[in-house]
Amino acid sequence: MKKRLGLVIDQERCLGCEACTVACKIENATKEHWIRVETQNAAQKDTPEGRFPDLKMSFLPRLCNHCAQPPCVDACPLEALGKREDGPVVLDQQRCDGCQACMEVCPYDAIRYNNHEEKAEKCNLCIHRIDKGLEPFCVICCEGQAMHFGDLNDNTSAVSRILDTRETFQLNPEAGTEPSLYYCSPKPPRGL
Amino acid sequence: MAERGKTSLVRTVCPAHCGIDACGILAHVNGDRVVKVEPADFPDPKHKRICLRGLSSLDITYHPDRLKYPMRRRGERGEGKFERISWGEALDTIAERFKGLADRYGWRSIGWTLGGPGAGTTKFGAYLRLASLTQSTRVSAWGYGDSALPCGSRALFGAQFPYQFLMGKFLTGKVKPEMVVVWGSNPAESQPLNMMRRIMDAKERGAHVVVIDPRFTVTASKADQYLGVRPGTDAALALGMINVIFREGLQDDGFIQRHTVGPYLGRTDTGEYVRGRDIGAEGSEEYVIWDGASDSPRVCSDVGITPLMSGTHTVKGLTCKPALQLLMDLAQEYPPERTAEITGVRTHIITRLAQRIGTANSVTFVTNMGFTRTYHGDISLRALGTVAALTGNVTATFSGGYLPAVLNWRPFLHADPDRPSYSRLGILQLYDAVISDKPYPIKAVWFSFINFLNQCAHSTKIANEIFTKLDLIVAAELFMTPTARYADILLPACSYLEFSDLIPFPYPYVQLQQKVIEPLYESRSDVDIASGLAGRLGLGEYFDKGEEGFIDLILDSGDPSMEGITRERLREGPMRLRLIPDMDQQLDIPFSTPSRKIEFYCERLREVGQALPVYLEPLEAPLKPEGKKYPLTFIQGHSRFRTHSMFANVPSLLELNPEPVVEINPRDAAERDISDNDLVTVFNDRGKTTLRTRVMEGVRPRVVNITEGWWIGQFKEGSVNHLTHDVINPVQETLYEPNMHMNDVAVEVVKADNQDSPQRPRYHLPELPQYHLPELRGRRGRR
Ligand code: SF4
Ligand code: SF4
Ligand code: SF4
Repeated sequence: MKKRLGLVIDQERCLGCEACTVACKIENATKEHWIRVETQNAAQKDTPEGRFPDLKMSFLPRLCNHCAQPPCVDACPLEALGKREDGPVVLDQQRCDGCQACMEVCPYDAIRYNNHEEKAEKCNLCIHRIDKGLEPFCVICCEGQAMHFGDLNDNTSAVSRILDTRETFQLNPEAGTEPSLYYCSPKPPRGL
Repeated sequence: MAERGKTSLVRTVCPAHCGIDACGILAHVNGDRVVKVEPADFPDPKHKRICLRGLSSLDITYHPDRLKYPMRRRGERGEGKFERISWGEALDTIAERFKGLADRYGWRSIGWTLGGPGAGTTKFGAYLRLASLTQSTRVSAWGYGDSALPCGSRALFGAQFPYQFLMGKFLTGKVKPEMVVVWGSNPAESQPLNMMRRIMDAKERGAHVVVIDPRFTVTASKADQYLGVRPGTDAALALGMINVIFREGLQDDGFIQRHTVGPYLGRTDTGEYVRGRDIGAEGSEEYVIWDGASDSPRVCSDVGITPLMSGTHTVKGLTCKPALQLLMDLAQEYPPERTAEITGVRTHIITRLAQRIGTANSVTFVTNMGFTRTYHGDISLRALGTVAALTGNVTATFSGGYLPAVLNWRPFLHADPDRPSYSRLGILQLYDAVISDKPYPIKAVWFSFINFLNQCAHSTKIANEIFTKLDLIVAAELFMTPTARYADILLPACSYLEFSDLIPFPYPYVQLQQKVIEPLYESRSDVDIASGLAGRLGLGEYFDKGEEGFIDLILDSGDPSMEGITRERLREGPMRLRLIPDMDQQLDIPFSTPSRKIEFYCERLREVGQALPVYLEPLEAPLKPEGKKYPLTFIQGHSRFRTHSMFANVPSLLELNPEPVVEINPRDAAERDISDNDLVTVFNDRGKTTLRTRVMEGVRPRVVNITEGWWIGQFKEGSVNHLTHDVINPVQETLYEPNMHMNDVAVEVVKADNQDSPQRPRYHLPELPQYHLPELRGRRGRR
């Protein structure tokens, strides 16, 4: 079977630290942040929901979903975006002329606009690393050990095992893009 | 990715002062430049890790604002006007001034004020070696927030730190506690890697996690139960739990009897322990136990005693009680209802937590300095430890494992054993020494890796009364910090990639921080700086072997934990400490307290009424705010974006966290007509600071939080330490060293008059010093 490389992010372990954000920016020498860590159901970062002391807070790192049916690829008039056989959706900045058509169709707001170079930019699943057998840089720098990378089509991979054993979800599945990025929800507190 | 051409890899260590994470770093070097850092391998892959600060560390090394050459002050102190001088001139000047001051006031008048050295050893030791050889003064920085925990730990366990007793082998990941109680600490942000990961691992394996904190922190967000305690009332919370534990008989009598002072009789009149001599054993200093079988007092070394740990007994006319009974009497006063009133934690939660701790197979207590930064913070730690000890959750036996790293500093620090060494002052004691010559005058201060003005209590006093009175201020720094601006001579120091050091962390490893690149600009390592000065003071011979010589000196100094560890072998990678194979036998750990037991009753504190972990109200934190001029308690959490004031000037982190904010609960904000993102002034009689609000439920009502470490200049005005006080708790002075009570401060908050201040830049760096940087070839900023 073809590979379907993707990520599973475990909210139970995500510390909202943004090390992934910083790591990605350094590794790819980007202007913009390709991963943005949101605090769920909160107006701003690092603020819980509820009323003191009955509170909860969880974090949602958001990045490109490397969709199986990526509308961004179809939208790009210059074929700057492509879906690789093994999964990653890659943006070739050489070809991008900054028209932003892809940004309009991405349901996940995953494509950033680099004002400086007037080009779109996004996570390319660290193909320069994974093609050498390394894990994406954000994964090895994740403080909470919350990010997992692997072949979602391989039943024996670590990511598949998580999908088999944990309750997981995708963002906006109704958009029909079939994301290759899954999340595990945080475990509800058990009290005393 | 970013690199071109040939890249070589060097393994080193990030020694940032984040506790003991000490992440291994793999530096990618291209030519003379480090182009990338990534987490380095460890023999045990679970130690491979890096945090967002470590990732950003190149932004420190290649920061355009690095100090590039030695400078001499030109304008007024604090004005930030400097001129470039040579190293020779800088060190000659310092040596001459030191000698002059020493002639007039004695060498003791020169104080080496060294901050947290992080995980580093030689950079810290080199200055102390010099302090020792000149018999000058070591100003210890423990009191900058970190001495109350040792105060309490010394009284209770006879050890500087309580961690090994409260956590045992928790950090090895080999134990499976049923519960993890994180008390007054936020490891998710301050120790995410070695500590928080283990907590989440334990939770994955079923442990219940409880977090006790006035803020709903990231750590709290991972808890099964959160207790939003009122700052400074932790001892009351502990006593309330102890009340329930005794009431329901959940204490571990076997453990108490074997490892604590529980059975030892204390006199109700003087508070002293009954001694052998009191019951007729002449000259005997032994503790005395009431033997239930014979219904008589016996010295504790007698065999075949059936100790009674409760009741009142009369020994030769003296009324006395076992220490455990004395504790029960105290806890009696803290039923859960009353405890709830004091602490703000709900009654049934106090009861239930005590029951859970009392019945769980094993509980790991995770704590740190944060909750001890109140006036009686040392007692908070003792109270926590007492809960652990009563329920048998203290590691009091040893049955094998890696020996903890112990460094024998003596040959290093005390280079000439025939001469007396340095004098020692706590950093809070420095204030009086400079201002009023008590206990003796300090005339010159050397600052290394410390941002004294920014980080220490009562900044206004420091600026107006300490800095104005000193004859000489020297600072070795990487940046023009708020403190550096006051220096007379300012020396450029190296970042961690530019020198070597020995890092005895993370347990159970020792690592070598290897020099990766030559010092940038004219910067020098701290060891080089100390040695340059030593040469001018006629002490060069003690420094001639450099960093590597000092590393060897520590490794070869004969502590068993370091056996077999050499610098050569450390070059190849981290080495494990000495392993004592698992034994069948469990050896009792001899606690270094006077009784060799866990002392929840500390005899020497009887005269100040603190022999037991009594609850005493905080100094300023207003427990009953109604009608108070300053009704809010001000606390300072730690931020993941900084280690203290390090990294506060790093643009890549400022992008994510652009400016200081004061966190305030919506109820308090509403009472003051304050909205989110308003500019407000936080103030008390000592000073004020102006900054934006973050109105949020995550901070307890009546409590406001500003994370520490932002630089003066990054606020609209003032800073956190314009609000703090430098009051000394004399009990801490006798136990170890007085602490700064950063989390025991009363303030009020008002909306600032001028709301429509100009749009803030995305990030805001402190005003830069007015000196001109000559072009330095090939050494520009990163991109
Ligand atoms: S998340 Fe957006 S950018 Fe990424 S593949 Fe899907 S549609 Fe394209
Ligand atoms: S996979 Fe690589 S490019 Fe994508 S978010 Fe992670 S670090 Fe950035
Ligand atoms: S680095 Fe890991 S723990 Fe931190 S925010 Fe990103 S996913 Fe979460």
